[in-house]
Amino acid sequence: MSNTVGSLTLGETGTVDAIDAPKELKRRLMDMGFTRGVAVKMIKVAPLGDPIEVELRGYNLCLRKAEGEHISLQQEPMK
Amino acid sequence: MITLALVGNPNCGKTTLFNQLTGTTAYVGNWPGVTVEKKEGIYRGMRILDLPGIYSLSPYSPEEKVARRYILDEQPDLIIDVIDSTNLERSLYLTTQLVELGRPVILALNMTDLLEKNGITIDAKKLSMLFNCPAIQLSASKNQGLENFDEIIHQTLDSRKLPACPLFSNTVEQYITPIIADDYLHNLPQGRPMRWAAIKLIEQDELFLSSMPPIPPSTKKLIDQACAALTVTYDDDPEAVLIDQRYKVAEKIRSACQTSIKKEERFSLDKIATSKYGAIPLFALVMAGVFYFSIQLVGGITTPLIERFFSFVTTHLGAYLSSIGVIPILNGLLVNGIIGGVGSVLTFVPQLFVLFLLLRILEDCGYMARIAFIMDRIMRSIGLSGKSIIPLVIGTGCSVPAIMCSRTIEHQRERELTVIVTPFIPCGAKMPTFALFISFFFPGRWYIAPLIYFLGILSVIITGLVSQKLDRHKETNAFILELPHYQVPTAKNVWLQTKERISGFIHKAGTIILLAAAGIYVLQSFSFTLQPVTPDASILATVGRFLSPIFKPIGFGYWQATVALLTGIAAKESIVSTLTVTLGGAALSTIFTTRSALAFMAFVLLSTPCIAAQSAMYKELGSNKKKFWKAVGYQMGFAYLVAFVIYLVA
Repeated sequence: MSNTVGSLTLGETGTVDAIDAPKELKRRLMDMGFTRGVAVKMIKVAPLGDPIEVELRGYNLCLRKAEGEHISLQQEPMK
Repeated sequence: MITLALVGNPNCGKTTLFNQLTGTTAYVGNWPGVTVEKKEGIYRGMRILDLPGIYSLSPYSPEEKVARRYILDEQPDLIIDVIDSTNLERSLYLTTQLVELGRPVILALNMTDLLEKNGITIDAKKLSMLFNCPAIQLSASKNQGLENFDEIIHQTLDSRKLPACPLFSNTVEQYITPIIADDYLHNLPQGRPMRWAAIKLIEQDELFLSSMPPIPPSTKKLIDQACAALTVTYDDDPEAVLIDQRYKVAEKIRSACQTSIKKEERFSLDKIATSKYGAIPLFALVMAGVFYFSIQLVGGITTPLIERFFSFVTTHLGAYLSSIGVIPILNGLLVNGIIGGVGSVLTFVPQLFVLFLLLRILEDCGYMARIAFIMDRIMRSIGLSGKSIIPLVIGTGCSVPAIMCSRTIEHQRERELTVIVTPFIPCGAKMPTFALFISFFFPGRWYIAPLIYFLGILSVIITGLVSQKLDRHKETNAFILELPHYQVPTAKNVWLQTKERISGFIHKAGTIILLAAAGIYVLQSFSFTLQPVTPDASILATVGRFLSPIFKPIGFGYWQATVALLTGIAAKESIVSTLTVTLGGAALSTIFTTRSALAFMAFVLLSTPCIAAQSAMYKELGSNKKKFWKAVGYQMGFAYLVAFVIYLVA
């Protein structure tokens, strides 16, 4: 079970719990749709291991792993 | 005059719609952040504004601030909320904010043509009912659904109907209501609707607070209570609670209006374009292919043909003019000055046309954002962002749009560094210089041209590494980028955009370069006492000789080279036309050796760009004079140093 969006494995889906980041970055991530309860699926890791591509709310978004680390996931097992 | 504003997420097609409505060819592309400034046009007697894309009304990068400031302060009569139909939920998140602004709204559901392929249907009637405003399904790129667009605008304006603000959960609403009722909000400046202002107060939006009169203690208490209660109830800060509420509304409306059938997973180009082993080789291959095709292949065929044409014209026209008794100075001005100078630049039109065309296709198909994704790791190691690669690729065509699109880079230091290094990438206007020198000094040595590109890239890397060493604060930078859908570029758009750029190049040849070439010819034909003299004793030579000692250590301390570099400040193409004019019929080897030719090319490549690119730099460096002069000084110093080393070693 992964703890953050940044540590999801390829193809794994997690549910967003909370964002722990500086105010501006937190707002930006939430504006992009990372709110509590949203499903996030890891689609791809860039050729050099970073950034990552995730799918949420029906669209694909790239972000650096470091940003993904700010987004923690709910811990109950997912289907 | 009625003012309409196009507002929506980045890359949802605002500028495409703008072009379609106004019949213009403003710069578009299939990656988020093409538009960084507002643009105005006229649509059926109404003023229409195209704004940079935003994800929310709380701005993050500078171009988003432009959009927010405009929407709030300039009071458009109507907001056209452009929505990417394939990405409804996130688009509606912005809609929930726009409808609170107290302006009439039209929902323009764009990219309708892509819905079927994605197995989505949208109930526009229901959407229109829920927001109490018109919702129109259209496709801006295909020009569909725009037939009655102006009628709908007029109906909406005439009815004075404001859209409905979606309500949040009862818990949140119970704290908003008393703030709306507070006296403080009844004296709001124009364009600050009460519900929206109340929400901004709870969010503690700094930009908003700074534009408001001081908050009286009683109101302050009310707000603090609301914030404290929300924080406890939702276990998050008030701003986050409200974002969450908006998304909940967006989810609800999306599920009420949209049905989607899960389609089988289709083959995506990303299987190769962003794959682990294929991605970077593919990028290298694509770029090499672009240059090989335009410069080597097309340029290789057309350049000799056009050169032959111009030398035919100049010889015969010159002979004819002297046979009919035109005085030599006029004859020379026309034939050697104007036709020779402008001709040396026009030779490059076909290959630049192909280069612009291919870059255009790259921009339109959706590949640019992928390059940013795969290159971010490398770019970060030299202090840049993955998004910096977009300006660098576009910069191979022209530095001006390239420097402008660095604005979407979130982090200030990465953005400014991108602005400084983008001119190191050889643009189309520098190409004539390289072509002239290579064909004279290094005929048949194909590797010299790619080496120039490598030198440009190497300079970007060195600059990045140096500035990273000098930078003491190690901040965490953000890189958040949406990947657009791939699309087949439409022939019409590719043609219009390419035509725009190539006609800009031809226009420059017919204006700035023509004037410069004619001016140079006159200045090198007369002395200060206005006596006709040999070029060596002319005004131009005297002025050039004054500055040329500067270039002596790097091998080309001749007045002709100095003057060529000076005219290059107006437009880099002038370097070639000036050399052609000042050398008259003489060969390049009269003032250059192989070594100094290499040094000269390096200096042209790396020194400060033309005046248009400089003003773009100034603007993107935040109109900060100190930063600008530092950047220019760095470029000059770096170019001089590299040229010096090359002259020494070569």
